[in-house]
Amino acid sequence: MPYDFEEILETIKMTEIEHFDIRTVTMGISLRDCADRNISVTTQKIYEKIMRLGSNHVNYAKDVERKYGISIANKRISVTPIAIVGDAFGEDEFVKIAEVLDKAATEVGIDYIAGYSALVQKGMTNGDLNLIKSIPVALSTTKKVCSSINIGSTKAGINMDAVNMMSEVIKHTAFLTKENDSIGCAKLVVFCNAVEDNPFVAGAFHGVSEPEVVLNVGISGPGVVLDAIKNAGRVDFQSLAEVIKKTVFKITRAGELLGRKVAERHNIPFGIVDISLAPTPAEGDSIGDILIAMGVEDVGAPGTTAALAMLNDCVKKAGLMASSSVGGMSGAFIPVSEDASMIRAVERGNLSLEKLEAMTAVCSVGLDMIAVPGDTPATTIAGIIADEAAIGMINDKTTAVRIIPAYGKGVGEYVDYGGLLGRAPIMPVRLISSSNLVLRGGKIPAPIRSLTN
Amino acid sequence: MNLSEDQIRELAIQAVKELGDKATPEAVQNYIENELAKSGKVQFNKNNTSGRVILTSFGLNATGIVSSITKTLSDCNCDILDISQKIMQEFFTMIMMIDISNSEKDLKDIQEEMNRIAESLKVKIYLQHEDVFRFMHRI
Repeated sequence: MPYDFEEILETIKMTEIEHFDIRTVTMGISLRDCADRNISVTTQKIYEKIMRLGSNHVNYAKDVERKYGISIANKRISVTPIAIVGDAFGEDEFVKIAEVLDKAATEVGIDYIAGYSALVQKGMTNGDLNLIKSIPVALSTTKKVCSSINIGSTKAGINMDAVNMMSEVIKHTAFLTKENDSIGCAKLVVFCNAVEDNPFVAGAFHGVSEPEVVLNVGISGPGVVLDAIKNAGRVDFQSLAEVIKKTVFKITRAGELLGRKVAERHNIPFGIVDISLAPTPAEGDSIGDILIAMGVEDVGAPGTTAALAMLNDCVKKAGLMASSSVGGMSGAFIPVSEDASMIRAVERGNLSLEKLEAMTAVCSVGLDMIAVPGDTPATTIAGIIADEAAIGMINDKTTAVRIIPAYGKGVGEYVDYGGLLGRAPIMPVRLISSSNLVLRGGKIPAPIRSLTN
Repeated sequence: MNLSEDQIRELAIQAVKELGDKATPEAVQNYIENELAKSGKVQFNKNNTSGRVILTSFGLNATGIVSSITKTLSDCNCDILDISQKIMQEFFTMIMMIDISNSEKDLKDIQEEMNRIAESLKVKIYLQHEDVFRFMHRI
């Protein structure tokens, strides 16, 4: 037998007991050739292109799942930022594009379609502005469309006008989807340093330097890392780092294999494997549990940031060894609502918004799936976005905010979406005001890259 | 495969005559493969990825597990390349490497057959393509 008994059982244990799955295979489709001055022509072209390229996506992914015995949780499509495709259009016309994206996504059977996006870190075109204004209606009238706006970067600084505008958009989206716990906000991300090849929603889009069509894959697997750490027992940090790296190496290899096979079936180029550890609400499939297994009593205890920093670094090192096509976010995600252990830490009062913010300085991606009271002022949300973007801008990393000001709800209540989005307890936000700061408007200039002390 | 330029040109002309307007990339590929196979110079293996599959089975020990699995495999025309079986306490574990390239059934059908007998034997049976183990455990 070319493989040991233990090796084979290890793989079976990963897939059957430890929730190892491939989180997503995301097909990136360029829609740049769909631009037209007539909205009906544009929507027709977009619909036809997605149907032509994406109609086999789910079937191919299912074949590969079956062949290798590893499940693929989500099948998704990302598209060129829609503000680029429809730069000449007004708000209502952008909503029509969102509707056709939703229709195509439903017909090809994928879970999400992402790329209702604009990149405005330096400034806005008319199209960017109209797209941003259309987001609340677009997200409340569609189910599968996800939107992201990049408002800052290390090279350009932070566009505070866009930050203010996005905080109003978030509030309005929460209001328009109030019947469903403001779910629109769970499909809307504000980025600093957004990446062009990210396969994870809601922040995925098909960047302008990407090819015509490409297949990217995002792995998962916190449960596998958790069990490895538990089995290692009380060892020192170097030994712990070894354990994490060995485990992540294996899951990255499996992820790349599956991604390449799906791309092969489509006969399209394979893009990247995103080595992020993405949790799910399932028990044990949690980043919070990993931090606890590393030694903190609960997420939020002093030392949590250090533990997360080491985890994130080990994930990157092992992933880079395992694949030559690493890209996307590639780190550990800490979305509150999607991680049972993080939810518990918030419920117990051990994890605050401020500690989460510190944690996002050392991991990907940012303040993710955080529910706050519905009466939180837009300027406070703008302050939270600006803080998070500043961390990304100064540290030359991607940060994001996906925040849900749950309309009509307050601290102690919950938003509950089920599925991968999970449920989130509403966290308290400081009541002191940020308005005189954020309403200055303009841009925070790009930072210096030397004297980094 | 060594073909001279003349032979390649001849094949191309034949293909153009035969297929004419109906030529699609797949049709040309099929035609060329058939011609080359007929000439006996080249053997094409349609399944160029290996057909080796790892079968893992475990559950409470009982009589007849191995025989039911191997009978089904032979019915499907699968070749057993290696087999390793252990009883750990009262648990039965078996790992097999099988080759399904000669089977008229594909992996999905064989998996369905196995699911059926797994249910009646009250054991778990997983079939996974060999590549996943190679990628995870071999550099």
